[in-house]
Amino acid sequence: MGWNEPIEEIGEGRLVSKGTGFKQITDIVSGVTEKKAPRGWWILFGISATFTAILGATIGYLVWTGIGIWGNNSPVGWAWDITNFVWWIGIGHAGTLISAVLYLFRQYWRTAINRFSEAMTIFAVICALLFPTIHTGRPWFIYYPLPIPNQMNMWPNFKSPLLWDVFAVSTYFTVSLLFWYVGLIPDFATLRDRAKHKVRRWIYGFLAFGWRGSNRHWSNYERAYLILAALSTPLVLSVHSVVSFDFATSVEPGWHTTIFPPYFVAGAVFSGFAMVMTLLLIARTVYGLHDLVRIRHLELMNKIMLTTGSLVGYAYAMEFFIAWYSGNEYERFIFINRAFGDYWWAYWSMVSCNVISPQLFWFKKIRRSIPAMFVISIIINIGMWFERFVIIVTSLHHDFLPSAWGNFSPTLFDILTFMGSLGLFFTAFLLFLRWIPMIAIAEVKMVIPEADPHGAGGHALSEGGSHDDSHGSAEPALAEE
Amino acid sequence: MSKRLPYQVPAEASDRPAIWRSLGEKAEPGRRDRTSVEETSVQVPRADGASGSSFVPLGGLKAKAEAKKATKTNGEPSSRVGRRQFFAVGGATAAAVGLSGCLRRPAEHILPYSQAPEYTVPGIPLHYATSVSHRGEALGLLVESHEGRPTKIEGNPQHPASQGVTDAQIQGRILDLYDPDRSAHVLQGGGDDPTEASWSAFDAWWREKAEELEASGGRGLRILAPPTDSPSFLRARRALTERFPEARVHTWTPVSYSQLREGTRLAFGEPLHALVDYARPRAILALDCDFLGSEPGFLRNARRFAAGRRMRQPTDEMNRLYCVEGTLSLTGMNADHRLRLAPSQVERYLRALAAKLADTPGVQLRPAVAAAVRGAEAPAGVPAAWIEEVAEDLAADLTAEERPRGRRRRRGAVVSVGWRQPAHVHALAHAINEALGSVGASVFLYDPADAEEPAHAQSLGELAEAMGAGEVDTLVMLGGNPVYDAPADLGFAEKLGQVDTTIHLSSHVDETSRASTWHLPMAHELESWGDHRSLDGTIAIQQPLIAPLRGGRSDAEVLAMLGGIRAWRGYHLVRRTLREMTGPDGFDRIWRRSLHRGVAAGAPRSRPRGAAVRDAEVAAALGEHEPASGEGWEAEFLPSYQTYDGRQANNPWLLEMPDPVTKLVWDNAAYVSPASAEELGVRTGDLLTVSVEGGQPVEIAAFVLPGQADHVVSLPLGFGRGEAAGRYGADVGFDVYPARTAASLGFATGVTVRPAGGRYELVQTQEHHSMEGRPLSIDATLEQYRETPNFAQWRTPTPHIGPLWTQVDYTEPRPPAQGGVSYEPYPEVTPPRPDAPPRYKWGFVVDLTTCTGCSACVVACQAENNIPVVGKRQVELGREMHWMRLDRYFVGDDDQDPQVALQPVACQHCEEAPCENVCPVNATVHSPEGLNDMAYNRCIGTRYCMNNCPYKVRRFNFLDWHGDVPELRQMQFNPNVTVRMRGVMEKCTYCVQRIQYARIRARTETVVNDDGDVEERRIRPGELTPACAQACPSSALVFGDLNDTESPVHELAHLDRQYKLLAHVGTQPRTTYLGKIRNPNSEMG
Repeated sequence: MGWNEPIEEIGEGRLVSKGTGFKQITDIVSGVTEKKAPRGWWILFGISATFTAILGATIGYLVWTGIGIWGNNSPVGWAWDITNFVWWIGIGHAGTLISAVLYLFRQYWRTAINRFSEAMTIFAVICALLFPTIHTGRPWFIYYPLPIPNQMNMWPNFKSPLLWDVFAVSTYFTVSLLFWYVGLIPDFATLRDRAKHKVRRWIYGFLAFGWRGSNRHWSNYERAYLILAALSTPLVLSVHSVVSFDFATSVEPGWHTTIFPPYFVAGAVFSGFAMVMTLLLIARTVYGLHDLVRIRHLELMNKIMLTTGSLVGYAYAMEFFIAWYSGNEYERFIFINRAFGDYWWAYWSMVSCNVISPQLFWFKKIRRSIPAMFVISIIINIGMWFERFVIIVTSLHHDFLPSAWGNFSPTLFDILTFMGSLGLFFTAFLLFLRWIPMIAIAEVKMVIPEADPHGAGGHALSEGGSHDDSHGSAEPALAEE
Repeated sequence: MSKRLPYQVPAEASDRPAIWRSLGEKAEPGRRDRTSVEETSVQVPRADGASGSSFVPLGGLKAKAEAKKATKTNGEPSSRVGRRQFFAVGGATAAAVGLSGCLRRPAEHILPYSQAPEYTVPGIPLHYATSVSHRGEALGLLVESHEGRPTKIEGNPQHPASQGVTDAQIQGRILDLYDPDRSAHVLQGGGDDPTEASWSAFDAWWREKAEELEASGGRGLRILAPPTDSPSFLRARRALTERFPEARVHTWTPVSYSQLREGTRLAFGEPLHALVDYARPRAILALDCDFLGSEPGFLRNARRFAAGRRMRQPTDEMNRLYCVEGTLSLTGMNADHRLRLAPSQVERYLRALAAKLADTPGVQLRPAVAAAVRGAEAPAGVPAAWIEEVAEDLAADLTAEERPRGRRRRRGAVVSVGWRQPAHVHALAHAINEALGSVGASVFLYDPADAEEPAHAQSLGELAEAMGAGEVDTLVMLGGNPVYDAPADLGFAEKLGQVDTTIHLSSHVDETSRASTWHLPMAHELESWGDHRSLDGTIAIQQPLIAPLRGGRSDAEVLAMLGGIRAWRGYHLVRRTLREMTGPDGFDRIWRRSLHRGVAAGAPRSRPRGAAVRDAEVAAALGEHEPASGEGWEAEFLPSYQTYDGRQANNPWLLEMPDPVTKLVWDNAAYVSPASAEELGVRTGDLLTVSVEGGQPVEIAAFVLPGQADHVVSLPLGFGRGEAAGRYGADVGFDVYPARTAASLGFATGVTVRPAGGRYELVQTQEHHSMEGRPLSIDATLEQYRETPNFAQWRTPTPHIGPLWTQVDYTEPRPPAQGGVSYEPYPEVTPPRPDAPPRYKWGFVVDLTTCTGCSACVVACQAENNIPVVGKRQVELGREMHWMRLDRYFVGDDDQDPQVALQPVACQHCEEAPCENVCPVNATVHSPEGLNDMAYNRCIGTRYCMNNCPYKVRRFNFLDWHGDVPELRQMQFNPNVTVRMRGVMEKCTYCVQRIQYARIRARTETVVNDDGDVEERRIRPGELTPACAQACPSSALVFGDLNDTESPVHELAHLDRQYKLLAHVGTQPRTTYLGKIRNPNSEMG
């Protein structure tokens, strides 16, 4: 590349395979919702639905019997319940980052994965919200933290980070849902237009809110999308920062740490990307989306994982350094205990999964190898679960007074609740794949060269774009930028 | 349903209106024509007579429907009832029928007092003075009773033995009263399938039997009873022996204090009880003597010992405790110097010490005794300092040239020997005490309650022999459980089967009851009349608080009945006994005063006796006995701190109370030293087989206990009773009685201990025993304290950087008129009056110097605050609910021989409470008086507060702990404390219910003074004590108003050695700890 050529930005260049025009994009994505579900889908759905049923039964038993069915105890008041909560919230992070932050930074490659990751966010946040609800001793009073005027003169305690959680997570959920839905409107209209059955047309028509693809619609749509992107960008940082306040504002050694907010956000992005990667690779293979989700996309995601993984590794090291540097004996003890105490295996699982495994992405071969990245993404998710476990359990189990020290071991119901939440997540996700366009049709179309009338390589239409597509008129809006 | 007959339309309805709307209409039938016929159906008068209202109750609907049916059956075809209406009415009827079933409730009668019982004001508890016998001592008690329901036991401050305090077992006795497994029936026939009989059947049977026995003068009649301190029991016994001259009375109790008595018999020529005032001596040497935990009078001892150690300022003096023992006991945990020594070697040690003392100038050991011990050598491995320096220290006061000015009396030194040691060792100790000048100065000799009491092992042995020889034909066992706890070599259980008639009076259908032909239910102490004589001769009446719940009788009653006393009923029996003592003059007044005060008025008080040590006899006894060689393993038997000898084995509070030393719950274990455990190759939880010569081998889990003497295995009694114990004690611990022989009631030598293979799960509430170098339970030596009085604060500095926000001043002591703030719960409703008294600032002080770690506070708190018991499995998971925790740390580098640091920890009521900030629902909030309050109803159970509590004192109801509490047991609940449901957090409240009770009482005494100002009385110091502080035998816990400069708590909280636990966290706790001061002898090295 010479001095007189424009610098190529990351993600610039061809984002879909050659020969994939407007029509092909529509066909590929819409086809998934129109054809019969493949056998693989049914198998996965069966498994997921079973686990969801187990989750329901477990929660029923939990509410009937009490938190005692889990392994939580004194001093370990929180264990798998809040570990799962933070883990799911973290996973729910990638969606908004991909759809909002990358959007604002004009990272066009995001279009291949944003729908997907936003859906994942929604479902992950649903799973996350489940845990703070059921982990309370009396879940039937879960509305007490909400500021509802009542005759009992009760009011929530705004000093409590748990209350901040309530607001942060519910705001995040609401904005994420709106953002996702707004993006879906043109695609629902596409599905409506392609629908052959009356009911199908009626449902998608309802969901499309009367989208006609007029210039005015597009103009409003773009504006709304931009505003929501701007609104949800701070949320990417705030949600996990607030979640980290649960720990950072406490007095417990190992929790009372100022590094937590950025560290949690980096970790969340890290785990979120890993989960997107896992899901994407499965869907890409099952539904043959190779033309839309290319190795380039995956490689870029791997680079983000490498970055955030290194950030997380830095945070781990810095925590240790500060524990030593602070001279606080309780803090020092906690960190030594983390690495060499009763839960050393959890700590070292965390370090090897989160810090060591993403370093493999320095190698281009691994970065572009689908099996490698699939395995690493799962390893990262395991590692991030351990990270939360380590933070919560190892800090609590040996804190100030040695007389009160204890240990935690999970019960069958801890495991079932966690597996059940995975079941719920995958059930929702599989339903999403089945009924909702898993890739943002309109947005992908915007970034193909055909959409740019003045783009590199001459007139866009010369490459064989399709005039049949009803949304072709939208492209200039973005291409001009 | 069936009670309500359908409304019948009268047949002669033609002239009278069957349907009417009002009385007027009824009276004037003509108006009926003006009403529309369609409305008739709603105008049917209700069959149940309910008056009309806008809401039609179900009865009305039904009546309406039935009226319709009635109309039909009366043969008046109603063309107006169409199909639709029929179904509508039919459906409504069906629904009403179904719903009315829901409304049926069993008949209940709520009757108010038509004539209120005297003194009873609903909601205000009454306290009754009573007394019980406990571990060889009679204790005066005050029992709280809510509307006739005893709920809580406290000590009687007027009684010299209890002095207002109690211990864990006494606290637990209230639960024994409501034990659902207590026996409720007289059983006849024995075995597994006895027939239910009644008291009258037994009485009738006995009348016949007694005639038969009287004929033979009572030959073949034997009575077996635990040692007694009851004058009425003794009177009944005299009556019995008069009636049946040939009958014999035997005495047995497994934790036998006979050796103490035999020791005094040997030393002084008559049985006496030596009572030590532990506040006086400057140096105390406890030889295998747990005088703070299990010797008779231990409550009194703990109180006096603490008094001799309580420090107000650095110049105060302090006693010094040397302890020589085989296993770590409560006393050993509090010792300044402790020597691990096998119990058999204690004698050798004492002889060597006596020899050394004999040579010490000023000590006038009797010559023959001195000669007998001359040249005695200390057991191998005992450091020379333990003879030389200890002897010097004991004699220091005698040899001192001059007594410090202002002290009138010498403080002296005392040697105490424990119940396990043989009589001649006790006698030698008495000789030494005499030589040290302590007898009469700090050791006081009293006549025993029962001068005829035989040595227990011997007495039971004689009985067993007689039973084996067929000489016994009727055996009456009044209490006790000999089948379970008799020495194994006596073969008591088999011999019991050879006796024709065996009668067992017992609170439970236990091992002995099952082997007896008659089982008689025994009344609880709180259900029956009795009297008890303390070691110092104080007589106290045992006053029942409730009629026997299970229809039992007391042992004295049964004995009196057997002895033919006409007025055998407890009340008359006790009254007459007291009357015999005081004389008939003004007896009614004396009786009432005795009941009221709890201490018998007018009864002759015994005074300490003077007695001289019989030199020759003691020397002879010493010559007769050769001290044991001390080779090989030894086993010693301990009364359990939880179940004692097994009598409280069905008490879940005590089973779940962590053992003060080991922190074990729900089990006993064989304690072995770390070195011995290594030698055996066992860890805590591995099963051991312990075989004692003459006994049967027992299998028991090992527990590695630092501070245990090597090659000594300590076996706590009172566990492993199986089904016979009851539902709670059924699967608990190991029975070690089979290993015990009559010759080795205290300890046994020549024992084999080997690993049995296999493991057993032992559960402790505290598994980590090191403070990790953290400044938690802070201690210093007396010298260090005198040098640096505020040593404790140097370890945990309070941060000087203030918080970033304005702090609420909870400490404002002034009334509002002077700019202060007064407490009003709803300031917006009732603004504080300008003349309202200043706020209270509740505070709590824990004196670590006097805390002995006895755990009375733990159970007292449980009794007061309706704290649930969770069971072994849940404790293992870390879910115990005790609000008060007694932390026990081992200090020092040597894990074989550590020092112990104790620390009671309950909610610290932090001024800047970390729990309060993090609760999302404001369920835990700060009261204006500085209490950290829990609003259970608000709590949703996030457990965030528990995580954020640096002290980990918050307890969460993980499961429904109160779910299956038997109804009987529920009677114990304190009505002033909420029973918490599952899913809520709880913790120490500083006994807020007692604060409120005191506040109400103070407010009722509000007066208008001469100036017309309203003066509300302030709660006075001492008016209010939380349950833990009230029970504490050593007054280590003090509660009160920190704003009251006159109060003891204010003084203590400002002592120089005060510190706050984890002050550096910035929580600003309201609970203050006073650093522990140890008083080691610098010469000991």
